[in-house]
Amino acid sequence: MGMPGRPGDHQWSQQHLSHYVEGELRPRARRRLDRHARNCVDCGRGIRAMRTLVHALQGLDGLAAVRAPATIFDRVRLAGAGGAPSPHA
Amino acid sequence: MPPLAGQRPPDPADTEASLLARAQAGDIAAFERLSSAYADRLFMLLLRLLGDRGEAEDVAQEVMLRAWQGISRFRGQSSYFTWLYRIAVNEANRALDKRARRPAGMPIGADELQLPDSPLADPSRQAENNELRQALARALAELPPPLRTAIVLRDVEGLSTQEAAEIAGIGQAAFKSRLHQARLRVRAAVGDQALVSSGG
Repeated sequence: MGMPGRPGDHQWSQQHLSHYVEGELRPRARRRLDRHARNCVDCGRGIRAMRTLVHALQGLDGLAAVRAPATIFDRVRLAGAGGAPSPHA
Repeated sequence: MPPLAGQRPPDPADTEASLLARAQAGDIAAFERLSSAYADRLFMLLLRLLGDRGEAEDVAQEVMLRAWQGISRFRGQSSYFTWLYRIAVNEANRALDKRARRPAGMPIGADELQLPDSPLADPSRQAENNELRQALARALAELPPPLRTAIVLRDVEGLSTQEAAEIAGIGQAAFKSRLHQARLRVRAAVGDQALVSSGG
């Protein structure tokens, strides 16, 4: 069985799933992808996968548990011991 | 909003503008206070871009040194945070270039890209998400640096496209193109099945 919609819709949809979930597609392009995905298992799943991916990446928030090393200003202090930075440094 | 009872109102001398002015006049302590506010986040960014804790520590020191040496030229066209992050991305790229030129190119460490579990997360949910987290870490580690930078700044760090593009040093259209490419590659690496089943 062929892919639903116009020829090329499937590949085009697969390439634009990120734009779709980002809300960047123009209305006509969005309708094209919607129409194709309604009848295409791969693209329907692709939309869900892309949404989950973006959500999961946003959730990779371990900030509270990671601290900058205490040495982060060591080179600044070393350089500062020689005086303030020149405006043309 | 007035400060709550028992809270000290912020000292006007400690506002970012004031610290910046003092830092630009050569006050190291003011520079450290100003930059400390972003140090943890900046270090996390370097860890994500470099995938190696030792290298991230070394580059973080270099970023602060460059910022200190250049602060007198900072004119405030962007926020201090954006300016500092841009230095960090440039220094991370420089470190990655150096690494690529080494005879046996050290691969980025996916283990370092994995992030600790949130102490507030439901333990069963943590276990469920652990596999996806590891797969994402591996996929991010495999990306070419420009794509990794784009997806880390926009999706992981949650910056706006405008801010992320500015930090990456490219236009917004080029940035979006990198971001979409990065997402497609990560999606392909992780697999729809893993993503959809984790998404519930």
